[in-house]
Amino acid sequence: MAKTEIRVGGLGGQGVILCGHIIGKAASIYDNKYATLIQAFGPEARGSACSAQVSVADEVIGYPYVKNPDILVLMSQDAYNQFVGQLKPGGLLLYEQELVNLDQRLPAGARALGIPATRFAEELGRRLVLNIVMAGFFAGVTGLVSAEAIEKAVLSSVPKGTEDLNMRALRKGYEYGREQAAAPTQ
Amino acid sequence: MHLKGFPQPVTLRDGTEVVIRPLRAIDGAELLEFYRAFTEEERQFLRDDVSSPEWIERFLKKVDFEEVVSLVAELDGAIVGETTLYRTRYGWTRHVGEIRVAVARDLRRKGLGIALSRAVVKLATNLGIEKMVVQVVENQVGARHTFEKLGFTQEATLRAHVKDIRGLKRDLLVLSNDVSHIWHAMEAMVADYSPMHE
Repeated sequence: MAKTEIRVGGLGGQGVILCGHIIGKAASIYDNKYATLIQAFGPEARGSACSAQVSVADEVIGYPYVKNPDILVLMSQDAYNQFVGQLKPGGLLLYEQELVNLDQRLPAGARALGIPATRFAEELGRRLVLNIVMAGFFAGVTGLVSAEAIEKAVLSSVPKGTEDLNMRALRKGYEYGREQAAAPTQ
Repeated sequence: MHLKGFPQPVTLRDGTEVVIRPLRAIDGAELLEFYRAFTEEERQFLRDDVSSPEWIERFLKKVDFEEVVSLVAELDGAIVGETTLYRTRYGWTRHVGEIRVAVARDLRRKGLGIALSRAVVKLATNLGIEKMVVQVVENQVGARHTFEKLGFTQEATLRAHVKDIRGLKRDLLVLSNDVSHIWHAMEAMVADYSPMHE
């Protein structure tokens, strides 16, 4: 498998870094691949731009920085404005559909799949698990990490007492992702 | 809503095995039988006239597993315990859940009350509720100890707030359990999480 480069973007407080960390952890620790993570915060964490660069490969990764991602996972309009132009032609955009409006800047041939992750998280009980919904959506659409691996990555990353809600959030995103991936491309 | 983790088998202190599961719409007759077995004095500790078929019918309609969640304990096809979680999805107390628990007399002091309470507290936490409250009358010592074991503390006393069957006014205690610290940890992780801190 060639290296897959991923950028997760959003606002501080949305769990952008944790989302990227869980994807990398699922791939490296539980699916026995290699992964790297680069995280970038704005001057203040909450409400400012925030992104994570994740690379996943079957071999040791020599260069961890992501300039032109194969997959973009975006949770805010600012992140879309900042990163959509970097998506590789034919790449995959996964986005929070109630927070991000797509436009003509989406590269030609790119596939874009949206999810109302914030609404799903609120319906499950807490808005703050939206990043876990997104992580599940990522796994469901891409299959880059296995369902078992990402479940283990979530369980080993979240605080004690929050596991059940986080698992429900993950499965909600995963199932929605499977459905979206199977739907005909528009 | 589908509740995960149920049915949940529980072995009580005397070896009796019961099953805790979500209330079903078809449980009306068993639920009525359960509440009718309470003495009139015991029913004074309950807020509603649970021995009336009309109340049972209304309650079954209210249990939507969103704002009203009900678990029952079942033994040999009969309901021997019931717990309800009430919450609102909107407004300034949307983070608060109110819990009520009732246990059949024959099953008291055997650990069923705490098993039901533990199940509903866990359920409430998983639903994202940050604070749980329960009301007990001052002389409901067993119920009070059960909730204290689960982390509840007395937050308020409503003086002479309830009247028992003999017309004697008693204090109503409001116990609460703030589990928001669990979610504060998650909020901190989501706000500025750094794997370097692991």
